[in-house]
Amino acid sequence: MPGVSEKLEHGAPQTAGGPEAIDAASGLSPNLQAHIGRHVRAVFDEVAREPVPEHLLRLLKDLERSGDK
Amino acid sequence: MRRKVSSTLRDQLVAEIGSLRAFAVSLCGDKERADDLVQETLFKAWNHLESFKEGTNLKAWLFTILRNTYFSERRKRRREVEDADGAYAARLSTHAEQHGHMDMQDFRAALSELPDDQREALVLVGAAGFSYEEAAEISGCAVGTIKSRVNRARNRLATMLGLDPEETGPEGEGLSKTA
Repeated sequence: MPGVSEKLEHGAPQTAGGPEAIDAASGLSPNLQAHIGRHVRAVFDEVAREPVPEHLLRLLKDLERSGDK
Repeated sequence: MRRKVSSTLRDQLVAEIGSLRAFAVSLCGDKERADDLVQETLFKAWNHLESFKEGTNLKAWLFTILRNTYFSERRKRRREVEDADGAYAARLSTHAEQHGHMDMQDFRAALSELPDDQREALVLVGAAGFSYEEAAEISGCAVGTIKSRVNRARNRLATMLGLDPEETGPEGEGLSKTA
């Protein structure tokens, strides 16, 4: 019979050796998490803050008008 | 027959278009396609407004529609999309060259290389401002799944960008690199 011990290798809780500041789940320090967070938001906001394309605004106006029929 | 849409609700729809576009770009990596997705989302939302309870989370509702639209289209034209996936990173880095500095360019490229489910979770929670619970509802999975995707996404980004996971320097820019 093959050994079952191999099955145990996954899912060991990550105990970060560093200061308790290190998030146990991700293993990343709060500073690094914040750093990544700022960048994700920057990438997202760059698009989110662009002016809304004219054709999308027009679509809503058209829908509104056709809704009155 | 449709009920008359209140102007507040209409304004709220308009107010979410920016976030919807950003989410769509993060899903498909293509601005033109993203705008098509947003257009379809607005169209569907408008025609199903009666199923939306005014006062509840409009943003989460819209994101769910957009996400479902994206994935059902993707399922329909899988082969086409596999090509598109390959081109995703290339497109995004071209985009980055036009804007931004090296730091952002690296980050954008790394983000585009994340597995789709991890990138989605990170964007929903880390940029679009949803709670883990809301993100789980939008993505149709368990809260724990979202949490682990976000963690894996952060770890993967840190590895790809050569960032030190134990970085404890002062809050701010300029984290040290281990590589």
